[in-house]
Amino acid sequence: MTDTRSRRLVSRPYLTYALQRVVQAAVVVLLAYCFTFLVISVLPGDPVSNTLRNPENNFTEDEIARIIGYYGLDQPIHVQLWESLTRFLRLDLGVSLRSNLPVSRAISEVIGSTVVLALSALVVAVVLAFGVAYGVRNLPTPLARPLRALPSLFLSVPNFVIGLLLINVFAFQLGLFFVTDSEGGTATFFAAVALGIPVSAQIAEVLIANLDHESRQEYASFATSRGLSRSRLFWRHLLKPSSLPVVTVIALTVGELLGGALITETIFGRTGIGSLVQRAVTTQDLPVLQAVVVLAAVTFVVVNLVVDLVYPLLDPRVDLRGATKRVRPVTEAVPA
Amino acid sequence: MAPQDRLNALSEGGTATLEVPPATEAGAPPVLVSVRDLCVSYGGHQVVSDVSFDLPRGHRLALIGESGSGKSTIARSLLRLLPAGVGKARGTIEVQGQDVLTLPERHFRPLRGRTIGFVPQDPASSLNPVRTIGSQAREASALLPGDLSKAQRHQAVVEVLQRVGLDDPERVLASYPHQLSGGMLQRVLIGFAVLPEPALLVADEPTSALDVTIQKRILDLLDELRDSLDISLLLITHDLAIAAERADSVVVLKDGRVQEAGPTARVSSAPTSDYAKRLHADVPALNPDRYADLRDVGAARRARASDEGPKIAVRGVSKTFTVDRSRLTAVDDLSFEVPAGTTHAIVGESGSGKTTTIRLLLGLETPDAGSIEVAGERVDGRTHGELRSLRRHLQFVYQNPFTSLDPTWKVERLVREPLDRFRIGTKDERRAAVREALDAVGLDQTLLARRPDALSGGQRQRVAIARALVLKPDVIVLDEPTSALDVSVQADIVQVLLTLQAELGLTYVFVSHDLALVRQLAHTVTVVRRGRVVEEGTVAQIFDAPREDYTRTLLDSIPDAHHGRTS
Repeated sequence: MTDTRSRRLVSRPYLTYALQRVVQAAVVVLLAYCFTFLVISVLPGDPVSNTLRNPENNFTEDEIARIIGYYGLDQPIHVQLWESLTRFLRLDLGVSLRSNLPVSRAISEVIGSTVVLALSALVVAVVLAFGVAYGVRNLPTPLARPLRALPSLFLSVPNFVIGLLLINVFAFQLGLFFVTDSEGGTATFFAAVALGIPVSAQIAEVLIANLDHESRQEYASFATSRGLSRSRLFWRHLLKPSSLPVVTVIALTVGELLGGALITETIFGRTGIGSLVQRAVTTQDLPVLQAVVVLAAVTFVVVNLVVDLVYPLLDPRVDLRGATKRVRPVTEAVPA
Repeated sequence: MAPQDRLNALSEGGTATLEVPPATEAGAPPVLVSVRDLCVSYGGHQVVSDVSFDLPRGHRLALIGESGSGKSTIARSLLRLLPAGVGKARGTIEVQGQDVLTLPERHFRPLRGRTIGFVPQDPASSLNPVRTIGSQAREASALLPGDLSKAQRHQAVVEVLQRVGLDDPERVLASYPHQLSGGMLQRVLIGFAVLPEPALLVADEPTSALDVTIQKRILDLLDELRDSLDISLLLITHDLAIAAERADSVVVLKDGRVQEAGPTARVSSAPTSDYAKRLHADVPALNPDRYADLRDVGAARRARASDEGPKIAVRGVSKTFTVDRSRLTAVDDLSFEVPAGTTHAIVGESGSGKTTTIRLLLGLETPDAGSIEVAGERVDGRTHGELRSLRRHLQFVYQNPFTSLDPTWKVERLVREPLDRFRIGTKDERRAAVREALDAVGLDQTLLARRPDALSGGQRQRVAIARALVLKPDVIVLDEPTSALDVSVQADIVQVLLTLQAELGLTYVFVSHDLALVRQLAHTVTVVRRGRVVEEGTVAQIFDAPREDYTRTLLDSIPDAHHGRTS
């Protein structure tokens, strides 16, 4: 009991909890894979006749037989699912029907660009959100009040509109970057801004609401009464308890970042998962589509897993032994 | 300020009802705090009007009032902690000759902590929940004067924590607030407040969230610090008994206006204003026999019914819960009997097993051993359906009327619900029963269409009692039914309960931590501690001739007006 912090980190309840969450995450990913497989299987349109026998694709009968054999398309559906699942567990995502190349290669060629975009957007969103929240709490009222309305404005403008505006102003009018050089640093920055702005709004709204709430708590009054300055109160007392829930919000925005990335890539003419999906949809390239859906699921699950694992370490109040079994507080001995 | 100036200031600014503490004779201590014509409004609504008082150095002044009296608002004005932009204060508040209200924040901030210390009301929410107490203590020690090294500051913190009665300061410093009990946290808060040795300590209900024995020790601590550190105390309280015991002078407030002010001895023994008189009459600790006549109707009935056998018989009941694979005995071999038409009080502090006892009585938990009989019927070992029939005889009034009534329902439906659930009577009969129950608790029929939001705390608790009465039960379990209410409202509710008992012959099980209140209304008492019975007997036996040390400790914690005058 002398050092509560180190005791918490290695505590048995935490390890049990972590193991549970990892197993749950693995189950979710497998279920997501099966679900995607089944949904794609029941979709109308037979990939064999649509793609393989399409005269444009010029497959020979031998090649068609080989592909059908590889995917087991002549097998009953549960056998196909089992085959597909075992390939997935060996990290074999199959072969693209369009390019005849392994799907993993198609994805690894473009994923870097998307990851850079999404991560930069997340950084932009977090910085922007904390900046807005800081301003709302610390600037004089005439400036803070309009700032308060900013997140709702950000939230109500779709990111493709923001993207088009940014391109118009910064590329065409100011010439800060060229639309043709879509992978350059400046272009990436503006793409990240377009993607990050709506995400920042969600974070900022939660952060501002939490700061307002925490500043009304008794401990804020008590700290002020001890002579702490306003800025010290903000940095040392209000910020941490207000930011903790933001970690959860960030996990929830991953979906938005992924979906938004596909749109932003299209607007800024970037190659990435967005362009890959777009081609796969138009050509009914099912292995690629399935791989991207599973990739999204894995990303979502992993990010949420990380948040779940990190949160108990950040917030000392989280009790992993379950809400109904509270630790009894140390009580003062009453002399009898 | 010279005495003559102070007199002048008084004759100009003092209000008619104000009596200044006797600080005018030669050699009297100088005035530390001087409040003149203070008016505070929240968003245009005035909550404090023309309040004036003086606090001489070294004195203890209590501001007394019920909810809405403006006592906390006055304290927050003095500390400049009114909500920014909403709260507006006019008048003057001088602390050591400086006007707190007009001083720029730049000049006021050095006074915070160093001159004016603050002990807040609820220790559980007054420290940052996600930082250790040690890190917040380092921050508090930054206020210490002089050029101290890190080690010296740490030493000062450790010393102050020892001084406020925390035996293991290092362990406390390594803990997070939620890992300590309320009493320990309140000691930490007091420690932080007195660390820079302020001239004035403002304590806003410093004990209202604590158990009674802890309350006494915290108040003792404040007294001790005042003497040893020469700190003046401004005590905000709703409890006249505490003020009578702990303050040199009092200011009685109602609706933001001073009703009466003066030396404690005079105000608490011979109040002159109507409000102070009524408040004095309503405080249980000062009037142990107020309801003796009403209560004795039940006692007379008890004498008559003594051969019938007890209404409630609890025999050897135990209940153990498993927490973190370790066993926690919440109730251990509990036995008591309640004769029909009487009130039995179960008295204990937090963790004494009171709540589990209530749940066992109501059949919400099954005892591991022992038996519970109500009106000759076993409560334990029943199925859910069988319990329903029992509940017609056995009703419950919950502690907090602000959370126990569905806010979307109207009074009529709230009170009628038990009748609907048990399908009793026709529609007209149910309507009549609801009106009868409201009459019994003294609520007007016009309130039938109101929702709980539009009722006062006392009205809400009356609705809750009416809801329990409507099934015509013979036993009502009352879980601290007045602890969320003001003292004058508490007196109303006690009156209602005792009148009902005298008229209807109800049997009450009254669970409480408030011994003064128990003494007013109960016939028999069981004192419990950590799930075990410490002592049981009639009210006279327990209060006049306690046999156990723990009972004596509890009795000592009842504020005693005579204590304050001798010190």
